[in-house]
Amino acid sequence: MRKFLHNVLFIEIMKALKLVFSHYFVKEVTLQYPHEKTLLPNTQRGALCLLRYEETQEERCVGCDLCGVACPSACITVVSEVDEKEGQIVRRYASSFDIDITKCVFCGFCVEACPVNALAMTKMYEYSTINKRDLIFDKNKLYDIGEKFHGEAKGYLVAHNQENEDEEIVSQYRYRFPASRQEDETEPEKKKAAPKLEAAVKTND
Amino acid sequence: MSSVNKQNASPDRKVELIDIVIDGKTVQAEEGSSLFNAIKWTGVELPAMCYHYSFSPFGSCGLCLVEVEGKKNNVRACTAKVIEGMVVNTQTEKMVDAQKAAIEKHLKTHPLDCPVCDKDGQCELQDMAYDLEVYDIKEGKRKVIPEDTRAVALDFNMERCILCGQCINVCKEVQLVDALCFYKKDKAKHVGAHGGETLDCEFCGDCLAVCPVGAIVNKFSKYTFKPWQLEKTETTCGFCSDGCTLTLETKAREIKVVTSELSYTSKFGFDIEAGDGHGGICVRGRFGFQYVMSDKRLTLPQVKNNGEFLEIPWFKAMIEIAKRLNDIKAAYGGDAIAGLISGRCTNESVYLFQRFMRSVLDTNNIDTAARYGHMNSVLALQETLKIGGATISLQELALSDAILMVGSDFTETNPITALRVKASMAEYGGKLMVAHNTETKMLKLATLPLQIAVGSESHFIQGLVKAVLSKGLADSDFIEKQPAAYTALKSAVAQISETVVAEKTGLEWEKIEEVAQTLALSKRGVLLWAEDIVSKTGAYQNVQRLIDLALLCGLFRKKGAGILPVCEENNEQGAVDMGAVPEFLPGQIPFDLEDERQRFESAWHATLPSASAKRPGLSLPEIIEAAHRGEIKALYLVGENPLGTLPASMKVREALEKIDLIICQDPFMSETAEIADYVLPVATFAENEGTYTNIVGDVNRVVEAFSPRDEVRPDWKIFSDLSKNLGHPIQYRAVEEIRAEINTLVPGYYRQDKTMQIGDLSEDFARHVADRYKTKENKKTDTTVTLSLQQSLYHSGKLSTHDENLMEINSKNFLQISPADAEALQAETGDLINIKSAFGQLEVKIEVAEALPKGLVCYPIHFNDPPVKDLMTVEVDAKSKAIYFRSIAVTLARSASLDLKVIASEKALQEREETESSAKAEQT
Amino acid sequence: MATENPPTKERNPHLPLLRTEELLLNLGPQHPSTHGVLKVILSLEGEKIIKSEPVLGFLHRGVEKIAENITYNQFIPHTDRLDYVCAMYNNFAYVRAIEKLLNITVPERAEYLRTIVAEVQRIIGHLFWLGTQALDIGAMTVFFYTFREREVLLDIFVDLCGARLTTSWYRVGGVERDFDEKIIADIYRFIESFHEKIAEYDTLLINNRIWLARTKNIAVISGEDAIAYGLSGSTLRGSGVDYDLRKVAPYGAYDKVEWTVPLGKKGDTYDRYWVRMEEMKESSKIVKQCLDQLPEGPYKAYLPKYVAPDKERVFTDMESMIYQFKLYSDGFDAPPGDIYCGTEAHKGELGFYIVSQGGGKPYRLKIRAPSFVHMGAFDFMAKGYMIADIITIFGTYDIVMGECDR
Repeated sequence: MRKFLHNVLFIEIMKALKLVFSHYFVKEVTLQYPHEKTLLPNTQRGALCLLRYEETQEERCVGCDLCGVACPSACITVVSEVDEKEGQIVRRYASSFDIDITKCVFCGFCVEACPVNALAMTKMYEYSTINKRDLIFDKNKLYDIGEKFHGEAKGYLVAHNQENEDEEIVSQYRYRFPASRQEDETEPEKKKAAPKLEAAVKTND
Repeated sequence: MSSVNKQNASPDRKVELIDIVIDGKTVQAEEGSSLFNAIKWTGVELPAMCYHYSFSPFGSCGLCLVEVEGKKNNVRACTAKVIEGMVVNTQTEKMVDAQKAAIEKHLKTHPLDCPVCDKDGQCELQDMAYDLEVYDIKEGKRKVIPEDTRAVALDFNMERCILCGQCINVCKEVQLVDALCFYKKDKAKHVGAHGGETLDCEFCGDCLAVCPVGAIVNKFSKYTFKPWQLEKTETTCGFCSDGCTLTLETKAREIKVVTSELSYTSKFGFDIEAGDGHGGICVRGRFGFQYVMSDKRLTLPQVKNNGEFLEIPWFKAMIEIAKRLNDIKAAYGGDAIAGLISGRCTNESVYLFQRFMRSVLDTNNIDTAARYGHMNSVLALQETLKIGGATISLQELALSDAILMVGSDFTETNPITALRVKASMAEYGGKLMVAHNTETKMLKLATLPLQIAVGSESHFIQGLVKAVLSKGLADSDFIEKQPAAYTALKSAVAQISETVVAEKTGLEWEKIEEVAQTLALSKRGVLLWAEDIVSKTGAYQNVQRLIDLALLCGLFRKKGAGILPVCEENNEQGAVDMGAVPEFLPGQIPFDLEDERQRFESAWHATLPSASAKRPGLSLPEIIEAAHRGEIKALYLVGENPLGTLPASMKVREALEKIDLIICQDPFMSETAEIADYVLPVATFAENEGTYTNIVGDVNRVVEAFSPRDEVRPDWKIFSDLSKNLGHPIQYRAVEEIRAEINTLVPGYYRQDKTMQIGDLSEDFARHVADRYKTKENKKTDTTVTLSLQQSLYHSGKLSTHDENLMEINSKNFLQISPADAEALQAETGDLINIKSAFGQLEVKIEVAEALPKGLVCYPIHFNDPPVKDLMTVEVDAKSKAIYFRSIAVTLARSASLDLKVIASEKALQEREETESSAKAEQT
Repeated sequence: MATENPPTKERNPHLPLLRTEELLLNLGPQHPSTHGVLKVILSLEGEKIIKSEPVLGFLHRGVEKIAENITYNQFIPHTDRLDYVCAMYNNFAYVRAIEKLLNITVPERAEYLRTIVAEVQRIIGHLFWLGTQALDIGAMTVFFYTFREREVLLDIFVDLCGARLTTSWYRVGGVERDFDEKIIADIYRFIESFHEKIAEYDTLLINNRIWLARTKNIAVISGEDAIAYGLSGSTLRGSGVDYDLRKVAPYGAYDKVEWTVPLGKKGDTYDRYWVRMEEMKESSKIVKQCLDQLPEGPYKAYLPKYVAPDKERVFTDMESMIYQFKLYSDGFDAPPGDIYCGTEAHKGELGFYIVSQGGGKPYRLKIRAPSFVHMGAFDFMAKGYMIADIITIFGTYDIVMGECDR
């Protein structure tokens, strides 16, 4: 009898409808993108950017291409060059740094790999363009993103344990380029007749 | 298993083996050898950062520690010697800890340079730290030493240096140069030139190659690459005839660095046998790659139109050239067409060129750069013994027990084969005798240095032949088998006067006898001759005499003994082998041999040009002559530049201007190309597939590192295209097909184990032998100074002068002059002096060179600014048609400008004195 | 009559030819309910399925071959894209295989973190399955409700690792990033309210007559057959086989918490639905217990040879910088050998078979993808059912073509 009533009166359907209609009175969870946007956390792995040192505005990147070799989709191309000043090489930098964002998988491995924390990710995720070539982010664009979303990039580095929050600790590490010397300032030692090396490492033999 | 030290591994030595126990296994080791080597051959790879098989163990890194029973402390395996009954343990925990400690010591002071260091990724310190799991080390004080960038090609970064001393050892023990040493400065140990001076060595770069860290840096590619970005291509060097194997490391169609076998990854040398080289390369090979990427390279075919070059597409150029060649061939016949090919083209290109010229253009007027000298050796050897090149291998050269080197500045022309010679002396205990008129580097090292007078090579050789015969040292086998030749020789040399020889050469007769004795009694003697013999007057006869000497000393008979005629360009030998000379078909088969001609005709589906005495085919000097007479209507130049090479006195320009059609195929715009009608851009060795034949006849592979830039094409494609347009298509899809064709026509040419088959002694030998020992009364010239064109270590032909790197290392177009002559002129290095020959005079900067004897001035043949070569006379050998233009008598004089300068400086001095004195006067 | 005109086998030539034959029908690869790009060639007799032949490979990317050319670590983002619905579990299965190859252990906290995230991922996977299965069958509302919850969990993932789907959060020797307070609080909040949500789905489905009609006795597979076909995960357990790798060969923190393995009876679609609903409840239990027990400690192992050093050390230590460069350029030096490591992903047993010859790259890497193995049983399970059921059958073992085609 109960089963018959159940079948005839569509009890379970009614219950379901009750549940569904009750949701008219629940606060909606949908966001009306693009008018509304979600608040993204600092960890968000969005567009990549390049950073400069805050105090000197010098490019952090030394063009070591570790990001390029760490990248699982091989989307980073780095060409390194040197800056010369009066015949002295004063820094190594990336003369071109291209990230093919169409290939990028946003895994963040490049950021993890970077030995000078020059790379970071931002919360930027809107890449739509009418020209496909715009999606190959070159060095200028990456630095522009870095400037525009500087806070986000710093936040990312901190959130992903790449950089310390404490500015003082961060500023301790600055890459010092090997300086050159042109002239011999000191008097050279007298020429040794038979140059012989005492063992560089003292062992106990 | 036995352990062999590379050192003292001469075949003559008796090896005493003793038993030692390594990790519980009993192994045999050579008495007195390094314990490290004994352990190495059991398969245990002990970590060692200062070890390299090519030099003796040094013991600076302290990593190869082992436990020896009975000794309290750890033992460094590399410097320890094996002792009978030794019990050695290599894999104990204590050892690993000690090894870790040794690495830690380096890491504590090492700068955090990995991001910028070029060595990162192929760094032994990184590998060691990783393999030994060194971590959590105590913080140390990092070194702060500025980089030493004073030297030309190499930078020294002492912060990164781990003081392993490999660079010093390889320089000292392998190169025998000893340019590097440790020195102390600011309480820190440095590596650099002696006394901390600016390094000024050969820049072979072996120190760079063995450096396990980034302490020695290649200046030209510094900071521009990382190893994982580079693509590696193993190919053969395109400079000298050594035929070294190089690895071109390229990034985006740019050569970044050139490396070779020699590196820390090959340090154990497991597959190295006695006599193998150390795998290094020379300054040219290592740094001379920039010309491949040069902006001055030609990119499109060019046609001369109203005196100006216009770029045209390939198909148009091919059609036009084919049409004009066809017209000339129809109007004047094939004899009006001539071709010259450089000794730098691959075997396949040379082969195709001669096939194209002979079968399509119906001409035998082809010649190659070997005509500048090497043809003397080839023709003389062919005439006497039916061989066409060296009869030893490089290993045999290194293991020889006596080497006589005549007229060769071997370290400059063939630096890597020279290392084998050095090894034969320094490592395997051979004797080295060097006869040269300047005090070359090799002469200084030689066990028996023989500085002979300028132009006395012929006397020296005759003296040697005489000495062998008169002392009864002649090979008994030779006497037995060739009695006629022996007696003919003996009677021929009878008239040679010992005193004349001694007087002419400036050597004592006893010394010549000593040389003769050493060579004749040697077990594995090697006779080596080079440019000073083959490209100077009387070369053909000199080579013949040298062959006599070799025969008398039994060098062709004894195993491991032989001769080594040295050629200059990388594939000169190959060019002759491939038949790019009128005398030979491929395989050095005489052109007039009817059976062989038919074989080639059927293979090529063509008729060869007639081989009658009327039309023997013209060699290089004859082509120029014929052009003078207006008989040559078209000239096809492949990489050759006669205008830039030959002296003005040969009137090449006038000859070339009479030719209707000149086609020039070159990577760069050369002097000859400027007056050509068509200039076709071709690929360099890095963009080419093929093979090169080296100094000893080994055929080495050339591999394309990247496809040719722009519209540039490899030689063989151009010949193939032209033949198609000429209506006789010779088409190939790839170089492999040409190689297969060569292999069928010249069987076994590519075999790695091929040996030179020494033929029977020519029947005419006895008849002609007297001719070459007739003393010609040389015209007594009152020359006091001889000008000689010499090769430089840093350059190879004209090609390397397009290379920015090599020009930066050395672009000295100085006239080298002996100190005595300089003093006589009262001139110093850098001064301009006036040099005058019968053909003109010019002013040239001088450089005082200690090595030169009085009365000899040298100028590098690679440079032509000022055009010193135009002072030269030209002589054509009657027999071999080789062209000699390398030496001439000159007079030196103070240049007017030099006088002016001196006056000016005197004046300045005077003025200064005056002002000073006046000032003093004022003061007082 | 009958004797006069007996029926003959010969055809009357005046009558038109009526042929009956199997109908071949291509379903997919563009069908919206094929969960990717799956094509099935169906042989139909009327509406009845006689034979179904899945055609795979539309989504083949050759990831196994890619793996041979990149370092072990670089392959982690590629595993995200296998079963793109549950990237975390793929990561987990992969790094477990590598850890087995390297023979390294993970700190306890990392094990807990991994277990929590894996179970959250399982909930996401089941929610995703439930929503799409109901949608396929025609119940659209469930889809919205399950995705609402899924969204909450994905937001936690974004907080955790910065990506919703392509997470790459697991690392060899630990995880990329530790939980922070917010994530723990969020997960707690979710778990607390989750049973209410499950009740909502139950209200919509558990007694719904259409749902029952479409799932009961559909695609029945017995326990024996399921084992014979190599089925695994909830598909296997729906047939009543008690086999769960988390119990059989415990990993992570599964052996430290209490939970049960729900089992079906009949092995039909409804049972599998029920098992998955129960598993979600079990998962939330596991997550809650793990969070309660979460120990203090490092979130990644200190094994410099295999695990990249902390960034701060890279700036100051020579050896850390060396390890940083070695690990990111050449990869870690894995010992030679071969291993298989299976992990209970929400779809079934996800296994990685790795052959190493030493060095930083695998010589061969084979992925045992549950979706692919389940595809083998497709014909068996679909035979005899109506064409209208085919979509249900697709859904019932929760296939994702990214994993199936690889």
